[in-house]
Amino acid sequence: MDYAIEPRPAGTQSQGVEPGYPHTANRWPAQPLARRPHTASELSGPGNLMRRLAPVRGDLAGYGDKRAIGQLILVRARVVDEDGAPVPGAVVEVWHCNAAGKYIHPNDSNDAPADPNFYGAARVTAGDGGLVELRTIKPGAYPVPDSGGWWRPPHIHFSVWGRVWLSRLVTQMFFQDEPLNEHDAILNAIREPEARSRCIASLAPTAKGPADALVYEYQLVVRGRKAAPSL
Amino acid sequence: MKKLVPTGEMTLGPFFPREFAQGANDLTVVEGKAAHGEAIEISGRVTQLDGKALDNVVLEIWQAGADGRYDNPDFFGWGRAATDSDGVFIFRTIRPKGPQGRKAHVNFIVLYSGLMRQLQTAMFFEDSDDPVLNSVKHKDRLIAKKTGSYSYRFDIRLRGEGETPFFGD
Repeated sequence: MDYAIEPRPAGTQSQGVEPGYPHTANRWPAQPLARRPHTASELSGPGNLMRRLAPVRGDLAGYGDKRAIGQLILVRARVVDEDGAPVPGAVVEVWHCNAAGKYIHPNDSNDAPADPNFYGAARVTAGDGGLVELRTIKPGAYPVPDSGGWWRPPHIHFSVWGRVWLSRLVTQMFFQDEPLNEHDAILNAIREPEARSRCIASLAPTAKGPADALVYEYQLVVRGRKAAPSL
Repeated sequence: MKKLVPTGEMTLGPFFPREFAQGANDLTVVEGKAAHGEAIEISGRVTQLDGKALDNVVLEIWQAGADGRYDNPDFFGWGRAATDSDGVFIFRTIRPKGPQGRKAHVNFIVLYSGLMRQLQTAMFFEDSDDPVLNSVKHKDRLIAKKTGSYSYRFDIRLRGEGETPFFGD
């Protein structure tokens, strides 16, 4: 195999059951996870995923009288592997709530208004530098039902395919300097402070950005790196 | 070269777009053409600790084709399904051949609200001497039940009695 997937440092990943998030104790396995050998099956993956999934445009904000309500933002996300090498062609799905904290989903019971001009989801392919750019509005915060006061900070969900099956990444991107970040049970499941801070997008200098939008920069590191040559 | 640390995984949450979970569970057709091999159906039910069936769980699979290859241009071995309100998912696919050094199997990942990381497992068609199947304690739980000439049942218990074996780092 010319590509290797190595174990991740424990503090950089949730360990599964999180005290602040009751469902985790009903769903995360009680048995320890098994170690398996990695073969061609785990170290190959779907090349051109768009053979099965259709693209969905990366503009969630719209224009003119069809423009979604909220602060216009550009998210520049780069998909790289553990060597820091860009992953061109990586497919990236995103979804998030509107500026009032409401998702387009039948299961969202939050009593916040829908926005008819906001669709809230996209599926795009990374370019040569592993870069995807999303034009959208900044999502709002919202309360988690029956949670005793847990509010989710503004965040964008990401689903990413790397080079191989074991590179699959589903995560959430947070925003710099949001006070709710400090108390969020999902963000803080990443115990190691440095690893946690990498889940938070940073605001780029406004002087360099477009006139009408704030730019947030973010990096997604998918699992896998070139294997050391065998001696 | 300096090694970067993979991004922390986080839960899919309860609001994964419904339309993203639909329309990708039939691997027997590739770009309008029938894939080569024996068409089969794999279904199963996903349950949690108290046995409750879970709605809108997202499952993704990756498998070899009828020739044991992962790069056959006439087969695309990736698919996605979501459970219905009874916790049931269905894939239509081609019976894989075991690739070199492996017995026939289908890789699964499970994504769901309350799962902080993806859960990785694999389904086998029969008890066999496979290095991945051999790495779990309860091999029988990874072997699908044959329910018809072309249909298999693979139930997934996330936690509790009869818990499905999952793989870690």
